[in-house]
Amino acid sequence: MISRILVPMDDSDPAGNALAYALENFPDAEVTVLHVVGVPSMLMGEAAGLALEDDLDDAARERAEPVFERASRRAADHDREVGTVVGVGHPARNILDRADNYDTVVLGSHGADWNRASHRFLVGNVAETVLRRASVPVTVVR
Amino acid sequence: MVEYLLALGVVAAVFVGFNIGGSSTGITWGPSVGAGIVRKSTAAGVMTVFVFLGGWTVGRNVMTTLSEGIITMELSLSAGVAVLFFIGLGILVANIFGVPVPTSMTTVGAIAGLGLATDTLNYRTIAEIISWWVVTPVLGFWIGVTVGRYVYPVIDRRVQIETSRGPLLVLDREGRLPRPALGPNTTGRELVTTVVVLTIGCYMAFSAGASNVPNAAAPLVSGGNLGTDVGILVATGAIGLGGFTIARRTMTSVGGELSEIPLLAALFVMVTASTITTLLSWIGIPISLVMGTVMTIVGLGWGRATRPITVRGAVTRDTADHEIAPGAITADTAPERAAAPIGEPEPQPVLDARELFNPRAVIKYVSMWVIGPTMSTALAYVFFRLVPGAT
Repeated sequence: MISRILVPMDDSDPAGNALAYALENFPDAEVTVLHVVGVPSMLMGEAAGLALEDDLDDAARERAEPVFERASRRAADHDREVGTVVGVGHPARNILDRADNYDTVVLGSHGADWNRASHRFLVGNVAETVLRRASVPVTVVR
Repeated sequence: MVEYLLALGVVAAVFVGFNIGGSSTGITWGPSVGAGIVRKSTAAGVMTVFVFLGGWTVGRNVMTTLSEGIITMELSLSAGVAVLFFIGLGILVANIFGVPVPTSMTTVGAIAGLGLATDTLNYRTIAEIISWWVVTPVLGFWIGVTVGRYVYPVIDRRVQIETSRGPLLVLDREGRLPRPALGPNTTGRELVTTVVVLTIGCYMAFSAGASNVPNAAAPLVSGGNLGTDVGILVATGAIGLGGFTIARRTMTSVGGELSEIPLLAALFVMVTASTITTLLSWIGIPISLVMGTVMTIVGLGWGRATRPITVRGAVTRDTADHEIAPGAITADTAPERAAAPIGEPEPQPVLDARELFNPRAVIKYVSMWVIGPTMSTALAYVFFRLVPGAT
């Protein structure tokens, strides 16, 4: 039985759809939303900015808050609550490292940075990597 | 015919300069524009002046390397125009795919390709340039690490960067002669901040000029098709044009990314990158501002992420959440906490800043510094082989 679901999210539309899909199709499952901050970029600005903060946990939480708020609002529409986890660094790695603690992963087909080709080439297609390497079943939502 | 070709070359040079202006103005002024210290048009204006100064002085050394050092012959007009098109192509690819391809590298690559095709490549010079390209990122990284680990935390505690609303300075008309006075909300500290930020920005603009003006000008200057001074003026004009137009966007995009770093840290990065770039340009090595910048940022972040935990920090953490489990006595109880019972949400793990600088992710970006110049060398080689008349 699917009782624990990991939904990795950013602020893209497919991520929102993934959460909606998980909430609708698994009404009794525990849904945890994961958001990764400090993703590698051309100048590594976001990563360095986080590293320079005094309290990494607080700073990462603060940066992830908008995504979690949106997720909570969506969950509230379904009369549900979601757990939240924040990760730092490489998105696919973060998801794969945690996937073992869940029964399934539901994620959007592409993130908000999809249009930046550099992100696709250099950070990688997160959904594809997770799909290929995850040890648990993965659902990709468009 | 020659006039048309020269006109085409100048158009290509302006295209190259225009794009360089966009990217380098973004890196140079993004942080201060983001912090609201400088307006975009002021930034572009100051940029143009200091790019000119950099190109006119230190830039001449790089110009000499590009036009006489890498290959033993002079670039003909048609070869110069072709080289400019390869530089432009590199920029186009970088813009379309959003990957960091330093212009100086594309330029050297294209000229080296020409040298290979005509058997006029000066291997000594090219080896020297490539060794500096290897040394520079390592140097930037270690300076960043040292600053991030030991210098930045100390300075950060003592220095506060302030900005207030309203004009920085106003004219005090109370006295007999109007004289400038601090604006309504300006503090003395803010005035100092602004002056420091402006000065460092000018320094970086100078280094951008020293390293980048030759990229746009050298291919035409080499064969004497354009006088050196005229070349510098054309390149500066084009960079300035880019600064006033597309830099409005790059100051937000590139600058937006730099704005994620505290302004104080950004200033450290700017000083380090500018110094590396200016010194290398001084000895005639073509180098891009972006290389020093990126590696200093990575070093700064990594140095801070891997900083040793201070005694005070370790003690507070210990009493706060009993994370440290020394010895075998407590080891038995540890697994219970590690595995959360089924049905309970995953506890938020303590984040590790080192994960921010996963070497593989950084290497992917840096690999563009190998792929970029290699591609431009190969393309130029093939082109000049197939079209021998162009040399």
